[in-house]
Amino acid sequence: MKKKRMWSLQFSTAAFVLIPAAVGINFLGKLFADVLKLPLWIDAIGTVLASMLAGPLVGAIVGVINNIVYGFTTSPVSFVYAITQAVIGLVVGIMAYKGWISNVGKAVVLGLVVGFIAAIVSTPLNIMFWEGTTGNVWGDALFATMLAKDMPLWLASFADSIVVDVPDKVVTVLLSFLIFKGLPKNVKLMYDNQGEIERL
Amino acid sequence: MNNMTLYVNRDSPVHRVDPLTKLLFVFISITSTYISANHLAVFGILLFTFIILMTGNVFKSILPVIGVSFLLIASIIIVQGFFHPDRATVLFEIGPIAIYKEGFSIALLITLRVVNMVAAFGVLILTTKPDDLVEALLQKGLSPKFGYVLLSVLQIIPQMVALTGKITDAQRARGMETEGGIWMRFKSFLPLLGPVVLNSLTETRERSIALEIRGFNAKGNRTFLYERETYRYSMPLRIALIIFFLAVIVWRVMS
Repeated sequence: MKKKRMWSLQFSTAAFVLIPAAVGINFLGKLFADVLKLPLWIDAIGTVLASMLAGPLVGAIVGVINNIVYGFTTSPVSFVYAITQAVIGLVVGIMAYKGWISNVGKAVVLGLVVGFIAAIVSTPLNIMFWEGTTGNVWGDALFATMLAKDMPLWLASFADSIVVDVPDKVVTVLLSFLIFKGLPKNVKLMYDNQGEIERL
Repeated sequence: MNNMTLYVNRDSPVHRVDPLTKLLFVFISITSTYISANHLAVFGILLFTFIILMTGNVFKSILPVIGVSFLLIASIIIVQGFFHPDRATVLFEIGPIAIYKEGFSIALLITLRVVNMVAAFGVLILTTKPDDLVEALLQKGLSPKFGYVLLSVLQIIPQMVALTGKITDAQRARGMETEGGIWMRFKSFLPLLGPVVLNSLTETRERSIALEIRGFNAKGNRTFLYERETYRYSMPLRIALIIFFLAVIVWRVMS
């Protein structure tokens, strides 16, 4: 019964309204990271929050729409990474449902897992579309060093993604976790699928 | 809302093409460059995309968009040129570092592909109003709820950006540091983002009530407020695109 709820395709109106707001939060996270000149992207807070609030499917949809909109408004290259964002949404949604956001320690583990999985999904995309580079200076420097030592392309590309994705996703998940804990109950309950409350 | 999209309002033959045909063009143009591994063929496709952009009178607007991807392109050229695994023949040397022919040739091919990808999306993005694209998709059977989601994103983001300006000022007025060392800047991230997030999430509650009242969940067929624009030559263009695509596949398989 509970499992079926997690994958329910019957989105409430609240869930539909959450999607644009979450995409906006992603956008702002990136904006603030740019304004404060942080060396991370932090462009998935909205996706992670939406997954925590409304489950994996809503999170995945946020991820896809986020990259479509980003592609339309800033850089078409981000269309390629729509799949990565969708997987981030799915993983966070599933693990949050299983209770991996009950304390800070677990949230860090969740961030590590998400970072690894994001890297696993990004690597084939990077190899397919641009032979392994990511466009991030630190990651690509490592990629180049590993290639210079004649390591295989896929390993170098994977390492390239890992050094960028894991710290970024740990920070993203931690920030989302802190925000999630600070949310008022009436907002959280709006998306709660497990309760017996009659929904809007 | 207008400052969100890259749409350029001009009157040109490309602007008058059906959005879905342009979507098909984007798909075929990009996959063709990845299917074919011939520099000349990829360059030809890129040239063709550029010609369409020029016909659409938006060629100048694509340059900053390509500029956004510049870092990716630069790192492809440097990394592949120097370090590609198949490196053997030295093309030329700069001091102690040698650029290899194989890597350089691959880097050139990928660069052409990336630029073509950006330019092909540019054809769609620069010459199509997002409203028109979503409307065309809705008429093809996209759920109206997703249509709402796609369009409202474009309206919500400018609102949220305006809100962040206020919040940044308010937090600075309370004495929060937004400049300084990295840890200092990092610490100010949450106080800046937190209020915006909370605000927009509480707003979703009111928005969903407002939508419910207006029949967001109503069943039955939706009607359209605007007449559908009639696009000419949709069919012949689509057939031409598909024939071209099949030709690329056949050519790739044969050679």
